[in-house]
Amino acid sequence: MKLLLQGGILIASFFAMWMGLRQLDWVSIFHVKEISTSTEEKLGEMYWNIYKKLEDEETSKSITNPIDSLLNHICKANGIDTDIIKLHIIRKDQVNAFALPDHHLVLFTDLILDCENEAELCGVMAHELAHMEKGHIMKKLVKEIGLSMLIAMTSGKGSPETIQQAVRLLSSTAFDRTLESEADRTAVDYLITANIDPEPFANFLFRMSSRDGAIPQQISWISTHPDSEERSKTIIEQIKDIAFEKKTVLDSTQWISLKENLKNE
Amino acid sequence: MNYQPAFSHAPAEHEAEKASNSYLMSLMAAIVGLPLPIVNLIATFIFYLGNRRGTYFVRWHCTQALLSQASLLAMNSVGFWWTYSIIFRDEVITNHYIAYLITIFLFNLADLVATIYTAIQTRKGKHVEWWFYGDLTSLLVKR
Repeated sequence: MKLLLQGGILIASFFAMWMGLRQLDWVSIFHVKEISTSTEEKLGEMYWNIYKKLEDEETSKSITNPIDSLLNHICKANGIDTDIIKLHIIRKDQVNAFALPDHHLVLFTDLILDCENEAELCGVMAHELAHMEKGHIMKKLVKEIGLSMLIAMTSGKGSPETIQQAVRLLSSTAFDRTLESEADRTAVDYLITANIDPEPFANFLFRMSSRDGAIPQQISWISTHPDSEERSKTIIEQIKDIAFEKKTVLDSTQWISLKENLKNE
Repeated sequence: MNYQPAFSHAPAEHEAEKASNSYLMSLMAAIVGLPLPIVNLIATFIFYLGNRRGTYFVRWHCTQALLSQASLLAMNSVGFWWTYSIIFRDEVITNHYIAYLITIFLFNLADLVATIYTAIQTRKGKHVEWWFYGDLTSLLVKR
C-alpha cells in the first residue's frame, strides 16, 4: 500500500511539474519562431545566391508579369502573403519546378511551355506553394543533410561541396510519398478556393507519367515526383463531388502571348 | 533518498565495489547513450544479469539502479520520439513539448545526483535506499 502510494506520488509529481511548466510561454522565451525563421531566411538567401550563378534567370516583364498574376491570384485567395514569395523563372530545357527555403519558387521555362493551359501551371505552382506552407522544404533538408550541417552552413562553416550538394538535393530529388500526397491534397484545396479547375493539373501529371520514351532529365519534375499516374487519379477522385465556380485568371490572348514570348526570347 | 547505516550485514570490499559499479555503469552508459535512451537501460541490465548470483548487497543495489533506469527510459523515450517527430514529421515545437523536455531534464538531473551520491556511499560499504525505489527493490530482491 505504501509502495503504491509512493509510486502514485512520483507519477503525480511528474505530471504536476509538466503541467505547471506548460503554463509558461516557452516558445516566446526561447525565441523558437524567430530562430527557425532566421535560419530559413539565411539558407534561402545562400541557396538562391549559389543557384542564380549557375543558371540563366528570365527577368523579362512580358514573361514574369502573367506568371506573377497567376501566383498572386492563388495566394490572395488562400490568405498566403504574396510579399514573401520570391518567384524565379529559369531559362532551361528541363520540365522542372521546385521550392527553396524562405519561399523561393523556381520555375523552368520548359515546364511553362509544356503546360497546355494556365490551370496546369497553377496546379504545379500550388503544389510547390503547399510544400512551402507545410514546412516540407526544411524537413527534407534536415532529414537529408542533418540539422548540424544546416546550422554549420548558415554560420558560414559548410564546405562549398556540401552547399552545392544541398542545392542539388532540393532541385533533383523527391520528397517522401507522405509529403507529396499532402502537397497534392493542399494544392487541390488552394486551386478550388481560387476557383481554378484542378482537373488540368491531374491531366498534366498523367501526361508526364505517360512519357516513357523521354530522357529522364528532360522531365525532372516527374522524376522528382514519382507515381504521377496514381497521383493524377487521386486528384480526380478528390474533386469528383466538389462543386465550385471555375474561372480563368488570364485572358486567352495573355496565355498565348506568354508562350510566344517564352519561345521567342 | 534514505541513508541506512543499519543494513543487516557489513559488505566486504569486493561487494561494495560491485554495488557501486552498478550505479557507475548507468552513469557511463548515460554519457555514451544520450541520443538513444535505451542504451542506459541495456547497460544496467547487462550488469544486473552478470551479478544476479552475487551477494544480497550487490544484487540489491544492481536492482535499485536497474529500476531507476527503467522509469527514466519510459520518460526519455517519449521525449526522444517526440523530438524525432518534430524534426522528421509534421509535429511542431510547442510550450507543451518544451515543458516536457524541461521536466525530463530535471528528473534526469535528480537521478544523476542520486546516482553519484549512491555510487560514492556504496563504495564505502554504506547502504542507501532511495525513496520508492528502495521499497520496491526490497520487495523484489530476496535474501
